[in-house]
Amino acid sequence: MAVWHYFSDPVLRAPTIASMLMCLSASLIGVLVFIRKRSLLGEALSHSAYPGVVCSVILVSLLFPFSEQWLSIGILIGAFISSLLGLFMIDGLEKRLRIKNDAALCVVLSLMFGLGILIASRIQVTHALWYKQIQSFLFGQAATMTDIHILIYGLLTAATLLVMIFCFRFIELIHFDRELAQSLKAPIRSIEGIVFFLLVLAIVIGIRCVGVVLMSAMLITPAVAARPFVNKLSHFFILSALIGMISGFMGNYFSSELPSWFWHSTASISLPTGPMIVLSASTICLFSLLFSPQNGLFNHWILQGRFLFRCKKENFLKLLWKQGHEASWTLAFIREKTHMSWLLLVLLLMNLKIEGLIKKTGKHTYILNEQGWLAASRLVRVHRLWEAYLVHMGQRAEKVHKSAEEMEHIITPELEKELLILLNYPVLDPHQQPIPKPKENL
Amino acid sequence: MNPYWGTSFFEFIVLFFNRMSQWVFGSLTLNELASDEVQVLALICIAFSGALVGCFLVLKRMTMLANSLSHTILLGIVGSYLLLFHSLNTFQLDIDLKILLIASLLTGLITTVLTQFLTQVFRLQEDASIGLVFTTLFALGIVLVTLFTRNMHIGTEVVMGNVDALHPNDLKMVFYIGLVNIGIIGLLFKEFKLISFDPALAKAIGFSPQFFSYLLMVLTAATAIAAFRAVGVLLFLAFITAPVLSARLLTDRLEKVIIYALLIGIGASFFGVALSRHILSSFQIPLSTAGLVVTLLGFLFVLSILIHLGKRRFFKTKLP
Repeated sequence: MAVWHYFSDPVLRAPTIASMLMCLSASLIGVLVFIRKRSLLGEALSHSAYPGVVCSVILVSLLFPFSEQWLSIGILIGAFISSLLGLFMIDGLEKRLRIKNDAALCVVLSLMFGLGILIASRIQVTHALWYKQIQSFLFGQAATMTDIHILIYGLLTAATLLVMIFCFRFIELIHFDRELAQSLKAPIRSIEGIVFFLLVLAIVIGIRCVGVVLMSAMLITPAVAARPFVNKLSHFFILSALIGMISGFMGNYFSSELPSWFWHSTASISLPTGPMIVLSASTICLFSLLFSPQNGLFNHWILQGRFLFRCKKENFLKLLWKQGHEASWTLAFIREKTHMSWLLLVLLLMNLKIEGLIKKTGKHTYILNEQGWLAASRLVRVHRLWEAYLVHMGQRAEKVHKSAEEMEHIITPELEKELLILLNYPVLDPHQQPIPKPKENL
Repeated sequence: MNPYWGTSFFEFIVLFFNRMSQWVFGSLTLNELASDEVQVLALICIAFSGALVGCFLVLKRMTMLANSLSHTILLGIVGSYLLLFHSLNTFQLDIDLKILLIASLLTGLITTVLTQFLTQVFRLQEDASIGLVFTTLFALGIVLVTLFTRNMHIGTEVVMGNVDALHPNDLKMVFYIGLVNIGIIGLLFKEFKLISFDPALAKAIGFSPQFFSYLLMVLTAATAIAAFRAVGVLLFLAFITAPVLSARLLTDRLEKVIIYALLIGIGASFFGVALSRHILSSFQIPLSTAGLVVTLLGFLFVLSILIHLGKRRFFKTKLP
């Protein structure tokens, strides 16, 4: 099925759009939870919503049998109440009884979930249909959603969005500069109340398609994925919401497409939507972490590789300098001296040629040109200057070479100048070798 | 036939002790045990291991890591199936000792290492990286299992457990794990205590806190894997935290906390099964035994909160 079918097909449209809306609200709130460093709160609250779901499925099915709208609204209300109850319990355990944050979360989530299982088991045998409905909230079931759900969840998401936009300034102020917010008499308590209210709301909206068990991922993952690429709160919200919506779509897409790639049968099953949405978000997150500009592994490797290459190049230049001015040399000679691999040698030669430091004189023979000579003598100068400096600082002369081998790649021209002035333009290094003079002194 | 059929709460207790003494003195074999007895014994073993491990998890503030572990065991079991060259198409949640061993090592180490990797290399907050790791691995486990077995119910069974489907052979597993737990924690009790209360001193003396937290994680994973058939991973968490926190509210000494937690866990398991049988006998309502046990644990937790608050008011003590 092509991508656009997921937005036009009357059966596929509702689950896809509803999932995207849910992921949108969850990933917006996730940003707030992330910057407050309370990411696991969502895990506890989503599990606390379970007994509410169970109770309201039973209640609504008794009061309004076969009414899809009332059922989904009732579930929302029930889940909201019990999730809020969980929030108060966690708060009470932490503040009144000084129970540590993680233990409080863990005990509330497991006890509430156990309560839910107990109540659900009451109807397991007698009302199997209701029980099945309850079970679908464990891992989410997007496939059975209809246009009514789009309407309900769309309205709730729009409300969340509006509140967020309306309170954006306050949220920004409170989370980044609490003291300023206090001195400006910003309504801190009510804004925090609103944030927690929205958190519970987002969880309640989300459990229909992601499920109770994995709901916390939709709060955490988009925010983590967006973080490396933003440094403004508003951008953070936008990028996180975008990632959330994309993963909501991808989850729906792959949950129905993936099984058919594995088995080419018509009666293939569809994978549970919740785990697929979570996996899509995690995949995006993995890429974002790998390629992030600050702490990304990929970026780190590139920087490291570049530095190593520069060290090799500079050592190469130094070696050529030692052959003397105007001396030409063959590749075979270099190979013999350095035992470099051919690949690295070719790369180095190309790089040096592009920078205009060497010129070719014959077949496989090269010579340092004037610029190359200057660059190489600067390296030697820095090396010997550093040795002289270390001896000046009281180190023994036979120990300084190793340090200089490393420092010659790091010392900047400014530092070199400072060293020259400090040591009063030395002529000889500690090993009685001449220090090449800078150009302007020649 | 099940001899407990139609028994009430007190009849259950009397009959249970009667039959247990028969079992101990050898006139009943393991396979003749009724399902209620298997449930009671399995839950007691789980409560036992859970309280032992849970004490140190709560002390070291690692319960959310245990939460993460209890989810990732699914992928651990899938991984051990692959390592043993079983085909995933025949994947089942039946576990033998070999799978238990490999899966608990895999789960404990991979989860902890990945979480630490995210916090250290990518400078992520710890709770965000815990949440990221376990949701991803759990989702991956569920998708793999559903894809290869075409069984939609395995995920639900992992989360909820099925105490009624326990077999006397499953009892051996939880019993062994209980033995391993008491053996390791008994032997290394001083070390665990030192590392929980003063990691800096422990490090100076030469014990690696890193090693002990890995050991604790592997133990937790093993306990979770042995336990989840019976109670499901989420209720396993209740066995880890609720008795310990209740005990913590009643006393301050570690040894006492462990003993109280053991008593609370074992009591809740026993009376939970008895209560569930009673409700079935007199009201004809089959309730989830694991759910009932956890609700009892919750009830005991609330009770100990009340006792704690009452004590605080009575003695007018301030919070530490």
